[in-house]
Amino acid sequence: MRNRGLTSLAIIATVTVVALAAVAVRVMTTGASTAEPAAAAWTASRTADGQPDLQGIWTNYDSTPFEIFDAGDKPGLYSGDPDGTARGTGPASFPNDVTGRKLVPRKSLVVDPPNGRVPIMPWAEERRNYALAHIADSWEYQTTWERCITRGVPGGLFPTGYGSGYQILQTPGYVMILYEMIHEARIIPLDGRPHVGPALRLWNGDSRGHWEGNTLVVDVTNYNDKGSVATNAASQRVRAIPQSEALHAIERFTRIDENTIDYQVTIEDPKVFTTPWTASMTLNREPDYQMFEYACHEGNQAMPNTLSAGRAKDTARPATRTQ
Amino acid sequence: MHSWLRGAAIAIASAAAAVVVSQMMRNPVAGQASDAGIARAADGKPDLNGIWQALGTAHWDLQDHQARSGPVLELGAVGAVPAGQGVVEGGEIPYQPWAAARKKENFDNWVTRDPEVKCYLPGVPRATYMPFPFQILQTTGDIVLAYEYASASRVIRIGKADPAPVDTWMGQSLGRWEGDTLVVDVTSFNDQTWFDRAGNFHSEALHVVERYTPAGPDVLNYQATIEDPKVFTRPWNIRLPLYRRQDTNVQLLEFKCVEFVEEMMYGSLRKKTGNEKPFSAARLRWP
Repeated sequence: MRNRGLTSLAIIATVTVVALAAVAVRVMTTGASTAEPAAAAWTASRTADGQPDLQGIWTNYDSTPFEIFDAGDKPGLYSGDPDGTARGTGPASFPNDVTGRKLVPRKSLVVDPPNGRVPIMPWAEERRNYALAHIADSWEYQTTWERCITRGVPGGLFPTGYGSGYQILQTPGYVMILYEMIHEARIIPLDGRPHVGPALRLWNGDSRGHWEGNTLVVDVTNYNDKGSVATNAASQRVRAIPQSEALHAIERFTRIDENTIDYQVTIEDPKVFTTPWTASMTLNREPDYQMFEYACHEGNQAMPNTLSAGRAKDTARPATRTQ
Repeated sequence: MHSWLRGAAIAIASAAAAVVVSQMMRNPVAGQASDAGIARAADGKPDLNGIWQALGTAHWDLQDHQARSGPVLELGAVGAVPAGQGVVEGGEIPYQPWAAARKKENFDNWVTRDPEVKCYLPGVPRATYMPFPFQILQTTGDIVLAYEYASASRVIRIGKADPAPVDTWMGQSLGRWEGDTLVVDVTSFNDQTWFDRAGNFHSEALHVVERYTPAGPDVLNYQATIEDPKVFTRPWNIRLPLYRRQDTNVQLLEFKCVEFVEEMMYGSLRKKTGNEKPFSAARLRWP
């Protein structure tokens, strides 16, 4: 299964690189820069109240690895399979010839630092390692996604392979992003109001937006220290890395053509990362995509099953194991 | 230097834009303040955008109910149930005989049976009158209702929609305007949600028609017709006002209640370390 997946990935990667070499030019021009991407001749339409129009249904299928792989990585651990040896890759891939979606060939979603590696402090990696090795002990060691609380901000926008729909609505003074996963409506005020008070800590932080030209810039603060920066296996080594109350995310949404929003997020958390880092990806317009109700907690059989399996393992005697 | 100047210019422009936007929010440009001060959107429809909340006690019981003690003795007055006048037109919920018996059973076993206790999605119309705010985001296309409770949400499609592919907790919502009333036809429910904390329930045959009608700048009259031929003998209506939250800088916060129910739902499966705090010393008594 894993081998077959790896083979397909290799084929897809090859095809993608060849077929989309031209696209790479655009990627290189947008690259790690947080400046406004080259907008070419396309002009964003406006909403009734004058905002650049981001409305519609968007998806984020993207098989780009989150980070550039390093020999010291433990992908089995990150994906919740500590005994596994499979090399981690991005989420499920969708080749162009099947779905028509564009795959943007890049080495990693992390564009800054240039080595494509998130500068995680050792304590945070140790805590992640411990948690992921003990997921059957308690829900507290599982990510907020497995717990059906949230995939987080910005983690909820990182590719995961399914439940990948996002609907954006704009009303006077607000941008709203409805996340298919865990049905979260993320409401971003644009009226310049201050962040909520410091005693209010939120799983997804407190978002404030403003427009810089055609770019929606969202400043996110007031996080609690219970969530994580990324929650799913596709985020590889960053999965289950804790967030502290000092987390600060700055997101930039720029519609660069009819079918594409360029998304960049810079993350700083001086208690968790040694330097700020930036990830970059696209949201792709997909008007026919049907978002389903992701009633996650209501159907979360994985949680009791995982824990009861853990308790069964506690009591099983090694002698009774079959080889 | 150059980029500093550019940054400053952008900041000033953004600030100006923010002022314009906030002015627009206060005095909608397209909204003629006619008809009892009802704001109007650019397309002339009533502008329902805003943060709304029900008062009253419909979330406890849709029908008349007197104050009573709550199920957790230690919570005393704080955990007691306030009295309230019902919101059901005519007062009666027309249950079929078997369903009336089931409703009573539900009431008697509220804590163990109510899906709200487990932080499950609330369904419709219950989401509307829970003791949490919700926000309406209205465009000329879709309208989204975002509820603070459990991060529940609904998309109301205007005009047409394909049949729902699966049954859901929140149903499929199809909207249309009848004069100044937003009418929402909600179908494709599962049978898992309740209407209140008193055990009022439905089957998967539930069909709800909601009506949101502005009664002034800060009040919506909410009416819902509830039809379920498997449970009730006829359709019945509830009617209650929704009020605009006026608090300075009000916004939806998070009530991600999964965190508050994990110990209750999964605690028996947690690996024991010897350092556990008992979940609750409280004694349960209900009703």
